[in-house]
Amino acid sequence: MDLILVLALLMPPLAAGVLALVLRRVPRRVAWLNVLTIPISLVAAGAIAVRLATGGASIVVGQLWRIDALSGLLAVLIASVAALAVALGPGTDREHHWRDADVRTFRIYVNLFAFTMLVAVSTVNLGLMWVAIEATTVTSALLIPLQRTKASVEASWKYLLIGSVGIALAFTGTVVAYVDFATTGVDINVALDFTAMREAATAFHPQVARLAFVFLLVGFGTKAGLAPTHTWLPEAHSEAPSPLSAMMSGVLLAVALYAVMRWKTIIDLAVGSAFSDSLLLIVGTATLAVGSLSLLSQTHFKRLLAFSSIEHMGLACLGLALGPLGTFAALLHLTGHALVKSATFLLSGRVLHRFGSGTISATRGLLATAPHTAVLFAAGIFALGGLPPFSLFVSEILIVKAGWAAGHPLLTTAVLILLLIAFGSLLVQLHRMLFGEAPSGITQGERATGAVLLLSVPVVVVAWLGVSIPAPLQMLLSNAVLVVRP
Amino acid sequence: MEAAFSRITMTAASAMLLLSLVVLWRRHAGAYITAFRTQSITLAVTGAIVAFYGTAPELFFVSFMILVVKGWIVPSVLSAMDAKRRSGRELHPLLNTETSLLVCGALAVAAYEISRPLAEVMNLATRGGLPIALALVFVSLFIVVSRRDVIAQIVGFLMLENGIALLALLGAYGVPLIVELGVFLDVLLGVLVMQAVVYQIHDTSAD
Repeated sequence: MDLILVLALLMPPLAAGVLALVLRRVPRRVAWLNVLTIPISLVAAGAIAVRLATGGASIVVGQLWRIDALSGLLAVLIASVAALAVALGPGTDREHHWRDADVRTFRIYVNLFAFTMLVAVSTVNLGLMWVAIEATTVTSALLIPLQRTKASVEASWKYLLIGSVGIALAFTGTVVAYVDFATTGVDINVALDFTAMREAATAFHPQVARLAFVFLLVGFGTKAGLAPTHTWLPEAHSEAPSPLSAMMSGVLLAVALYAVMRWKTIIDLAVGSAFSDSLLLIVGTATLAVGSLSLLSQTHFKRLLAFSSIEHMGLACLGLALGPLGTFAALLHLTGHALVKSATFLLSGRVLHRFGSGTISATRGLLATAPHTAVLFAAGIFALGGLPPFSLFVSEILIVKAGWAAGHPLLTTAVLILLLIAFGSLLVQLHRMLFGEAPSGITQGERATGAVLLLSVPVVVVAWLGVSIPAPLQMLLSNAVLVVRP
Repeated sequence: MEAAFSRITMTAASAMLLLSLVVLWRRHAGAYITAFRTQSITLAVTGAIVAFYGTAPELFFVSFMILVVKGWIVPSVLSAMDAKRRSGRELHPLLNTETSLLVCGALAVAAYEISRPLAEVMNLATRGGLPIALALVFVSLFIVVSRRDVIAQIVGFLMLENGIALLALLGAYGVPLIVELGVFLDVLLGVLVMQAVVYQIHDTSAD
């Protein structure tokens, strides 16, 4: 049964990617097949999550695969966002006119990208997790310049270089920890196995464990868009085709933070949590500040969304440093952010297509021009600003509360101010886009298509999560917190 | 026997570090690629030595893979990239040679200081080379951030990978085989993707 669940989770994107590669003449049919089969992954992730929420044992297959509550949560998020991107991407959307070759490229890489992220969260081997996260860079970089503009190609290069180097530093940390682990005399074959490492963590040498964590935080933090190595993110997320932006922003950042969480668990057992917590507090606050203070000056709406991602990653990073309550809040925050940010990026793609420009100044009168997109986009921005009833409001309040409880009144005040600045900036920028006179020559009016309906789902879900978290999700989150802070 | 083992690995590690400095004072991509190829071959030889003295037979296979992937395929890809663009042009880094070498000296000292706890806890004969491996990691990182030429940047990244491989080799006789294979795959695909993106940069700037 475990084997079937894992296969059902991992195989649909892998198979679709390979099919797109092999069947080069019929990319559009592959695209539709892709849309029909990707829900299998989502259903499998859901089944796994429900089982882990209700106290079931972790899913274990062989020596390499193990899905616990934390991985289960990430798997659901990845599968959800991948399903959105696959359903609304080149080859199935009726509004854009993509060339067949571009459809094929998109279908190959977007599926392999989803596959590598799913592998990263379902393997128990931290070495293999690293390999999978490095592979996410390779599989996503070629999709950024799908439209071959100079800016997108350069964004891709920057992403590729900074991402690869950052992730190499994470591997340095992995190797340092592994060297230490190997000297404690453990069986080399299980020496990067998360559960085995957790059991032997108390035998780690504190100095070495700290050294390893610094490398790991810098490395995976680069991939997670944490300051000061976030510089690749605004270009990459804004130049990528919108379905890819949705996946990179919604879940790839969360997957990188997931890697930090895994290692934090082990390092905390070796040296206590004060060390990693203080590092995460510093990095988190810096990242939050960079993100929220950059919002007002942005002139492109996709860059606005990208900086908002930086802000939210900083916030999640802070939450992880603030005890079990903060960790719960961080995981809830990542959940809400994954769903609403991916929807907002996909909506921004519709705006971009309608206005033919990504600048905020050229996007006037969105509400009159494309009312459905405008309302959903506005709801997404409200959610990202932390307005109730959306779940990000709840998680932000919980993070602030955890900060207060942990005895950081100054820091918490700073966080609150930064959140208010972010909210105000987002609102000002949204106002610029929604109202005013649309430039001449822009088609007016919009039909309520299936795409609009599909994009309303994550927005409604996040609003619903803000009102009440359903019992299974509550349990899943609580179990995931126990994984990070046993 | 152990003294010889220790000395040979130290020498090989030092040679790898020196080869990384080539990128800082030469001004032609061809020299960078040769330095990287030589460094990779040195790494493969080090791997074979560790396999022999440390009785870790699977490292022979890993060394062979290093030789094929990093000593042959990847340098060929880089040479093809270099040949495709205008050859013989001067490359201007962000920092001049003197400053660069000075920075690298400081980085090497830092590497010694940082790796001390690591070397202290180990009892392998190869532990003496660990600071050198870490120095290679830092110097490679410096190459990536201080050079503007794309081939120098890619070579810096690849030397960083070599430094980590050396660290794993000297620190624990390599990481588990499945991880090793995954790393090879990532390096290979990574370089191919980098090549594709660099070609696209050329295409779009030519328009």
